[in-house]
Amino acid sequence: MATEPPPEPGFQLTDAGGAPTRDAPWIFRTYAGHSSPRASNALYRDGLERGQTGLSIAFDLPTQCGYSSDAPIARPEVGKVGVPINSLDDFHVLFDGIPLERMNTSMTINGTAMWLLALYVALARERGVPEARLRGTIQNDIVKEYLARGTYIFPPAHSLRLVAETYEYCVDRLPEWNPSNVCSYHLQEAGATPVQEVGFALATAVDLLDRIAARGRIDRAAFARCVGRLSFFVNSGIRFVEEMCKMRAFAELWDELTRSRYGIDDPKLRLFRYGVQVNSLGLTEAQPENNAWRILIEALGVTLSRKARCRALQLPAWNEALSLPRPWDQQWALRLQQILAYETDLLEYPDLFDGNPVIAAKTQAIADGARAELEQILAMGGVQAAIEAGYMKQALVRSMTERITRITSGAQPVVGVNRWTDGLASPLTAGGDGGVFTSDPAAVEQALAALDETRRRRDPGQVAATLAALVLAARRGDNLMEPSIACALARVTTGEWAEALRGVFGEYRAVTGVDGQRLDLPDERAAALRAQLEAFVAAHGRRPRLVVGKPGLDGHSNGAEVIAVAARHAGWDVIYAGIRLAPDDIAVSAVEEDADLIGVSILSGSHLELTAQLMAALAARGGADIPVVVGGIVPKADLPRLTELGVRAVFTPADFDLAAVLARMAELIGGSAAA
Amino acid sequence: MTDAERVAAARAGDKRALARLVTAVEDPRPAAAPRRAAILAALADRPLGRVVGLTGAPGVGKSTLVGALAQALLSAGETRVAVLAIDPSSPVTGGALLGDRTRVRFAGAEERLYFRSQASGAISGGVARATHHVCRLLARLFSTVVVETVGVGQGEIEIVRIADTTWLVLQPHGGDAVQFMKAGVMELPDGFVVSKGDLGAAAGATAAALTSALGLIAPGAAPRPVIVTSAVTGLGVAELAAAIAAGPRGRLLAKEPGLFERWVLDEHGAAGLRRLRTLAPTTAAYLAACGGLEAAQLAFAGADR
Repeated sequence: MATEPPPEPGFQLTDAGGAPTRDAPWIFRTYAGHSSPRASNALYRDGLERGQTGLSIAFDLPTQCGYSSDAPIARPEVGKVGVPINSLDDFHVLFDGIPLERMNTSMTINGTAMWLLALYVALARERGVPEARLRGTIQNDIVKEYLARGTYIFPPAHSLRLVAETYEYCVDRLPEWNPSNVCSYHLQEAGATPVQEVGFALATAVDLLDRIAARGRIDRAAFARCVGRLSFFVNSGIRFVEEMCKMRAFAELWDELTRSRYGIDDPKLRLFRYGVQVNSLGLTEAQPENNAWRILIEALGVTLSRKARCRALQLPAWNEALSLPRPWDQQWALRLQQILAYETDLLEYPDLFDGNPVIAAKTQAIADGARAELEQILAMGGVQAAIEAGYMKQALVRSMTERITRITSGAQPVVGVNRWTDGLASPLTAGGDGGVFTSDPAAVEQALAALDETRRRRDPGQVAATLAALVLAARRGDNLMEPSIACALARVTTGEWAEALRGVFGEYRAVTGVDGQRLDLPDERAAALRAQLEAFVAAHGRRPRLVVGKPGLDGHSNGAEVIAVAARHAGWDVIYAGIRLAPDDIAVSAVEEDADLIGVSILSGSHLELTAQLMAALAARGGADIPVVVGGIVPKADLPRLTELGVRAVFTPADFDLAAVLARMAELIGGSAAA
Repeated sequence: MTDAERVAAARAGDKRALARLVTAVEDPRPAAAPRRAAILAALADRPLGRVVGLTGAPGVGKSTLVGALAQALLSAGETRVAVLAIDPSSPVTGGALLGDRTRVRFAGAEERLYFRSQASGAISGGVARATHHVCRLLARLFSTVVVETVGVGQGEIEIVRIADTTWLVLQPHGGDAVQFMKAGVMELPDGFVVSKGDLGAAAGATAAALTSALGLIAPGAAPRPVIVTSAVTGLGVAELAAAIAAGPRGRLLAKEPGLFERWVLDEHGAAGLRRLRTLAPTTAAYLAACGGLEAAQLAFAGADR
């Protein structure tokens, strides 16, 4: 492990004589974490051992949503999509043997971002590491949580206050920390075009900076440094030439915007700094080995042009569409970065594309489109107004629908999916584990035992006192970072911190994209679907009732919303039960509403546990006869088990034809709704 | 399971049986009327609970308030509370998206609460035609039934025909009050709620303006309550629950003649209403003579042919 922090990405390295040789590479990261702090720590140490130069921490959904591991709604999700963090004790284990002063740590955390940063600072204090030396990023982009990802906790105004306060705290105390990443990543995953991705992300950044400026808590010079610390987290798709131009357009617009809107003179503070996770949306379940090439090409889009090169890169594993990656899969992805940075001559040249008329024209086109998009949103009153008006959501749904239509029609070739679908079986998936990762259920018990231990050993008086101070500061509008750090040091748990603030701010329960969202099926297909329901209406004197909900904490609500809206369009009465529900909540909804069909969407990998719980809850409440369909990322191997549990149909990403899904749902209620 | 068995199970608190009964009484087809009458007759021994209407323009926070209110009613001593939330149906597809459950957070295990969504169908006024029938059922099984109407335009407050008391929800600075006054419906509600009280002084100012305006509309009349609430902080919700719990109940049957006249008007027009006058001295007498609402509808429609 290096004794000094690695040089800033893009920094010119020199030979012994001081002559420039090549640029320092971007930071190599691997998005990782699962099961327990102990298991994840081993993962990180292995990754660093193999040449990873930064950490990227994946937290489990309870941690992201502000629940401790032992909360009933948390249990099925503990350790599933990331590491559970309940208290500072867990952070000591997670970073065991990893020197914070030499690490660049990225934490994908939003609703509880301030809390996780407070834990990180508290860890540094207990280890005697000066805060000023901490380097890294918390994602902390709450806007896209309301739009697409769903792990918000508090109402928007309070959430945005927390984001602003992390900037106000970090600007002096953690000058090398990025207090947030404006994420266009999730917008592309939700269907955004390059123009939308750039335009929406800039609108989000403007909203954040305007908000910090309007609060007036920091002086002019500190504000300029906040602008300099604002970073982005961007997606990179398969159209890699366009993606490279997108990044050049992004950099140009950011330079322009920070100068014109915020009067930042120092060019260093106007630098467009961004990290990347390449596209997951385009990774296929069919012939998954092809994803290795897709990932390579997508990495080129954000590294080729020196002017618009990423600061940090994390690559998914080839089998991400199947499951969480195994350690070997992650190593293979890391090797790609190392070959690109160290074997090739990429880092030896100045920008390769300056003066190229094709690149210039494409960049210009994206910049112009994005500028218009930004102006449109600002004219609507900014990003919050645009969200509330459903403008962005509708634009995303439209783009996604167009994309799916292109794939369905074959206009957009996807190798192994709609072209060349026959192929030899891959030896990569032929191993004993089927090429997929399975988490260790015992690790969850470990996490729970550690939580009990923390609760037993801490000083309850101090816990109560620091929580009371947090609540008081929240009421008074004081910066919550220092009170949160005090809570962390007192071994307050994640659930307790969030619960205390829920008490002050309230809890946000959005209808997310359903309100005002419209989705148009082609007329003739919609008419056919409505005709299919007419028999039901004639027999029962009413429309069929569909309960749609998302059990568990995974907040990626698009799938459930699209189904809800499409089903209404087809003539169902749809009861949208919302997201983040306990399975029993859905059972209660279905029973009380006399549902004819239940549709649940699960993307977190907890589909077996959650479905089993739902079925048990339905049986307990006398609703065992209500048919259930499941949508989500469900590996083929799990289908028999779901059928055994009584699920009537499972829809996976392969079922992208909405009309076909709705037709199947209509078939299911054909004779099942007894009078 | 027969309806008689369902009624017995519903009396014992079985929500599945209750839900099926709600579906049965909602059935708008004339042929379903005898079944509805039988179900309701089987529950006629139970006292009638209170029906409370919560109405207001779209987006004023009715749904969010309902969740907090239902909990507060239980805390205030109500034994069982039902919520009936009405959402609009699409005029194009007939389908509806009933999203109110997302704003209402009941613990799944809260057996004293029942929440039901209803699509408005094509009826205007914020109330589905089946709303009355469902209230007739729920009021026999719950001490309080809260009906949350579709966000109405400012012209109609149809729910007053059904509910024992109706509350109009307004938001701070919404300008709704002025519109409702222009439409001449401010006389109808029994009380007013100014929502989003967590937004600060605005709610208080709106409440004060409203109170003085109400004094002008009906000078000398008993002042009607104006309560500022916040579903976020809980402000005013207990006060609203207490006001509701102190209000009248059990008038659903007394309101049937009015609803029957409305039905006659909808189905048979003004000529039908004139004919009704010739059939009995009062509508209540006609209903009594026929043996109840369903029987009266059947008789009236039969006489029409």
